[in-house]
Formats: sequence, C-alpha cells, structure tokens
Amino acid sequence: MTTTAESVFGLSQAEREAALLPVLTELTEHHRTGGEPYDRILSSLGIPRGASFDSVEQLPWLPVRMFKHHVLKSVPDDEVFKVLTSSGTTGAEVSRIYLDKEAAADQPRYLGKTLRTVLGDQRLPMLMVDTIGIIKNRRSFSARGAGVLGMANFGRKHVYALDENDRPDVEAIKGFLANHGNEPFLIFGFTFMVWQYLYEVAREHELDLSNGILIHSGGWKKLIDRAVDNAEFRRAFAADTGLTRIHNYYGMVEQLGTVFVEGPSGNSLYCPDFADVVIRDPETWREQPVGVPGVIEVVSTVPRSYPGHVLLTEDLGVVHGIDDGDWPGKRFSVLGRLPRAEARGCSDTFSGSPA
Amino acid sequence: MFRHVQREPGVSVEQRFPAGPAVEVDALLAEITAEPEGGYLSVGDERVVQFLVKFARKLLAPATARRYPELASLGFFLRKGEIAKALSTLETSGDQLRFPRGVVFHVPPANVDTIFVYSWALSALAGNPNVVRISPRSQGAAQAVIEALNESLAEAHPAIAQTQRMITYGRDEAVTSALSAACDLRVIWGGDRSVAEVRKSALAPHARDLTFPDRASFAAVSVAGWEAATPEQRRDAAIGFYNDSYWFDQAACSSPRTLFWVGDDERAKPAREEFRTLLAEVVASKQFVVEPAMAVQKRVSAYGVAAEGHATEIRFEGNAVATLELVEAADVPREWLGVGTFPQATISDLAEFGRIVQRKDQTLSVFGFDRDEVMTFTRRLAGRGIDRVVPFGSALSFAAVWDGYDLLSEFSRITTVTV
Repeated sequence: MTTTAESVFGLSQAEREAALLPVLTELTEHHRTGGEPYDRILSSLGIPRGASFDSVEQLPWLPVRMFKHHVLKSVPDDEVFKVLTSSGTTGAEVSRIYLDKEAAADQPRYLGKTLRTVLGDQRLPMLMVDTIGIIKNRRSFSARGAGVLGMANFGRKHVYALDENDRPDVEAIKGFLANHGNEPFLIFGFTFMVWQYLYEVAREHELDLSNGILIHSGGWKKLIDRAVDNAEFRRAFAADTGLTRIHNYYGMVEQLGTVFVEGPSGNSLYCPDFADVVIRDPETWREQPVGVPGVIEVVSTVPRSYPGHVLLTEDLGVVHGIDDGDWPGKRFSVLGRLPRAEARGCSDTFSGSPA
Repeated sequence: MFRHVQREPGVSVEQRFPAGPAVEVDALLAEITAEPEGGYLSVGDERVVQFLVKFARKLLAPATARRYPELASLGFFLRKGEIAKALSTLETSGDQLRFPRGVVFHVPPANVDTIFVYSWALSALAGNPNVVRISPRSQGAAQAVIEALNESLAEAHPAIAQTQRMITYGRDEAVTSALSAACDLRVIWGGDRSVAEVRKSALAPHARDLTFPDRASFAAVSVAGWEAATPEQRRDAAIGFYNDSYWFDQAACSSPRTLFWVGDDERAKPAREEFRTLLAEVVASKQFVVEPAMAVQKRVSAYGVAAEGHATEIRFEGNAVATLELVEAADVPREWLGVGTFPQATISDLAEFGRIVQRKDQTLSVFGFDRDEVMTFTRRLAGRGIDRVVPFGSALSFAAVWDGYDLLSEFSRITTVTV
C-alpha cells in the first residue's frame, strides 16, 4: 500500500501519546474556560483548573449522550456559525454540536487529510450507493444526507446507484462502469446499503468492480441477520465482484472531522495521528489490555468549539494490537452497541411509543 | 363459544386469563357483565376471597417466592387475614349499602411486572368485573402471575372465570376506546405520558379515571437519630435503603432518589460518610451488578445535574453507588438518574424539606425520627404533597391506600336507603 506524502497515519503509539497529551490537556483547559457546564462537570469530579494528566487514559471523558441533553459549547453564542444535529438510534434524541467558523472549516480539512491517505490525491469518478433524493430534499436533511454530501467532495462525475424510490438503478450502475470501470474509481455508501444495493446487484449482474475503492460506514447491526460481518463482506466482494480495496470507517457527529479508517489488509481500524482510542473496562473504567473488549473512548484534537475531544461512546470495541499492523498506533474493531439502559419503573404503560 | 367471523380487524383481543381463544371486545364485555351463577358479585364476595387465597398460596410456594421475591410480597398482601382486615374498613351500617363500582378497566405499566395484580385484586375483592390489559412485552414475574392465576382457576367458582379477564393486545386504539367507553372506572398506571395517551379515549359520562402518574420520592435521615442508633440499627437502615432503592433499579415511583440529612451540618458529615460506606458494603454483599449501559446512564445523569449547576460534587463507589452534593435542597432533581444515584443535601429540619414539597411527591422514607416529629411535619404539609411516610425498608410495600386513594373505597360505591 502506498500512502501519500502527507499521510496522517504515521505516528507510533508512543509518539502519538506524547504529541496528543499536551494538546488535549490544553484543550481541556480551553473548553473549561469556554463553557461553564463543562467546567462544572469537571469541578464536581474533583478535577481542578490547570490539572495535568500523566497519560491520555487519565483525561476526563464525557459520555457522548451528554450532547443530546445539554448545550455544551466553548464559543460565545454570537460566534456560533453552524449547529449540527444527529438523530441517535432511538430517533427521539438529537445531539447538538456547535461550530464556529474556524471549526466548520477545520472539520472537512481533517477529514480530507485522513481520507486522502486511502483515496489518493486525485478526485476520482464516484459511484454513490444512495439516492440523489437524500441530498435534494433539504427540508428533511438527515445525518445520512450530510454524510453523502460530505463524501461527494472526494470524487467527481457522481452517479447515484439508487433511483428516487430507493430501488437499485442497474442501468445507472452499468453506465458508470462502462464509462469509468477501466480506471480507478470510488464507491461510497452506508454499509448495509452497499451490501444490499450494490453487492447483491453486482453479483446478480456479474458486474466488475475490481478497479473500485470502496469507503463505507454505518455499522453492522442491520447485516447481522444476514450473517454478514466485516470478514464475510470483504470476502464476498472480492470473490464475486473483484473489489478488494475496501475501507470501512468509524466516526460520529459528536467528533466530526475525525474518522478511524480500516487499513488495506482489512478488519482493523486505525487512528489518524491527531486522534486515538482508549478501550475502557466498564467496571473499573481503566484501559483494557490488548485483546480485551470494552467501551470505546474516542480522542481527537479536532474539536475546539465544543468539548468533544475526549468522548466515551456507547459502542463496544477491542484493540487487536499496537504498532503491529498496516499503519502505526492502535488497531481496533467496533463490536457493537451497548444495549440501552432500561429501568423497571412505574413509567411507560405504552413504552415503545415515541416520546 | 364460537370464533366469530371477523367483523372489523383489530377489535379482538388475546385472553391470558382465563387462558382461551381470542375474543371480540363486545363479546367479552357482554360475558363479564352478565349475571353469573350464584348471583352478581358483592363487596368482599366469598367466591373472590376463596380464589385470591388460593392464588396467594401459589405465590408463596417456595419455588415461586425464591425466583420472584416480589411475588412473595404480593402473596403476603393477599393472605386471608390481610384480606379480612382490608374488607373491615368497608363496613357500612344504617342507611348505607356498599356495592361494586362496576366494570373496571386496568391499564398497568409495561415495565413493572406485578403492580397490576394489586389493583386488580383489590378491585375483584370489591366485587367488580375487571378487564386488565397485560403488556405484550410482559414476562418473568408477570408470566408467573398469569400461570398461578390460571392454575388457581381449577377449583374456583365459575363466576371468577366469567367476570375476571386479563387480556393482551398491541397498541390498538380501537380496543382501548371500546373498553374505555364501556367501563365505569378506568385505572391508569404508568406515568404522565401513559395517562395522557390513554385519556385520548373517552369515558362514559358517569365514569372516571383513577390515575397513577409519575411521582417523585425521597429519603430523610435524622442526624441526631443516626448518632443515637446502634451499629446494628445503622446497618439495617442501609439494608432497608438498599431494598427501597435498588429493587426496581431505583425507578419505582416510591423508590427514594434524593437523600436528605436533617440536622447539624458538621455532625451530618461523619454520619453521611458512614452511611455511604455501609451502603456500598450492602450493595457489594448483594452482588448487585450495574450493567455497562446503566453505568454510562448514571454518569450522563449525574454529569447533567452538575452541568446545570445543581451539584458541586459527584462521587462514585464503583458503578453501584453514586452520590451528588446538591447546591441547594430546592435544586432536587425529580427525574430518574439511573440505579444507585443519590443526590444529597443537609437541611436543618423537616420543615425545610416541607417547603420544597410538590404535589408530585409521593413517598418519604425516614430513619431516626420519632413519630411525633413525623406527625407534626406531615400535618404542616397539609396534604400539599407526600402521600406516605414510611420507615426505611418499606418504600416499596404496596398498601390498599395508595397515592392518597383508599382503593377499596374507590372500587366501590354507596347506595343510600332512607325510607
């Protein structure tokens, strides 16, 4: 695998932590100055202003769901340039992420630097495994639409693989391949859609995707019923369509601009140099050893306009190895979501209906 | 009984008790309101008493009681002596005759397994034909209850099977509407949202609702009372508090959330530390496990209280015990914060607590106060809130007087004859 000159997958774990710790410590202080609610949380946990930390693991983390219930931002109201929202899995709760002008500009820049490592510097013809409707209808602009729109920047001559009724548009896919199939091209989509609408169609119509570079995200939950995991996904694409350059990635709206990308050999996600993961034991909250699953904490120096630099996700994951894979640093997998905490209370006769 | 040709889809319901084929709502209503063999049920009807006593015996069977301790509490509640005691409060004399209220439609919560049995049993004891909606999601203890009921039916008078029904249906407004229109009393458990949801279905003009919406509950420890208590009494207090708080993940309406220390601020400090240590020991000895999602939920809630400026200190004892230092007693959070999450404040006297009491507040669990203090406090509240004051360890004990209602009296009516 060749990486470009400005690869952001270069730092060993020791170099990474040495580089990140002072920046993240400064960011912690910056966010405390910029937002009283965040400062109150840390104070209530007994962490004084100006505290220093011995390691990335020791930095205080915020549960990602905090952004669904509270206004957490580090810029004054009049500097808020954009508020990003995302629906959680429940649909009812929405995260609100506040960006100033600078943060709004940073976010695509970091994303670009990260993805160019796998996509190359050239903007290639791009097959979008989605419907153009998802970005056309601005009124119901969704996280999915934002993802599609953000990714579209990395390619050109976009063709959408689904028609406006969300049905595979086989003629459009065939047309794209006729025009661009003999040179490198990009494919983007959400994991379950890529499987359902591209893999199954490509197999049925014996399409050749061997020049493609697929980048996909969104989790495996919807594919578990079909007994498809990452390994099977890669195997089937390679065997039936010739597509071997596949990069899953992991990221969230609460840490936009930061994505963890699957390396060329597959089955491990890697951290860009400005980010890291800490897998925590849900009992002691200490970092788990390599190979032991726990709750994923994502760390990034990108968030400056809201305290999203150290976030405890609601995903389970495991670190497979450190400095021993395609790229340096920790390599890890996402194993699934934490089940939702549900109490046996007096509430909710009609539990299950939307709040 | 014939299976009807489907007239309109969605108006038939699944019968859980007595176990049987699906039935149309109209047919069900006709059956339960027809005069049973041996005459209409009366208040304290012997046919019902006998059935409940048999049912209670099954709940108290060692295998069941071990598996579902909450069913043993229910079994005790329905013992013959307890039933007789409850019925004795209904005796009328002279011009007054007490009768059942009529058809009672119960809508219990999906996620508390057993509360529906209490409200149904008291209503049955009052002689009403009852229809209880059992959640399709019910399982565990609720399933055990239904099995015990069906088993008890074998030796029961046929009037029981005819007039007492537990049914399951999905979120079908047509069924809720039909049953609401036909009942004389509708009993809604399960929080504000459920009450609002069910109330979309109209009642007959003479009928009314008995609602059990969201409530908040608290605990209070007298600092002087704690100092005077023996080590055994203090340990028992921690055990009682554990049972009150952890049994239903601290989400039961009557489970205490905020813990108030009443007395001198300085003297409260060692008492609070000791209680915290004792509680952590009890939780550890009960091997209470906090699932990772719940552990995260607790942090989301606790950090949230701090973020809003209502708490100055958050301390975790593992995942199981979290305490929050409230800035002011009046800042008390009334929402659920996750199991084993206790905001705390020291206040000078019970009257200070009285000033923050709201209508929504239900149970105050107390330790270390004498009865006179509690009586004086309660009288001064003048019924503005707090429906029950109980000792530590009794917060979850159901009683025939609940949320300020004397349930047997609600489930019956009085006819006067002044001729």
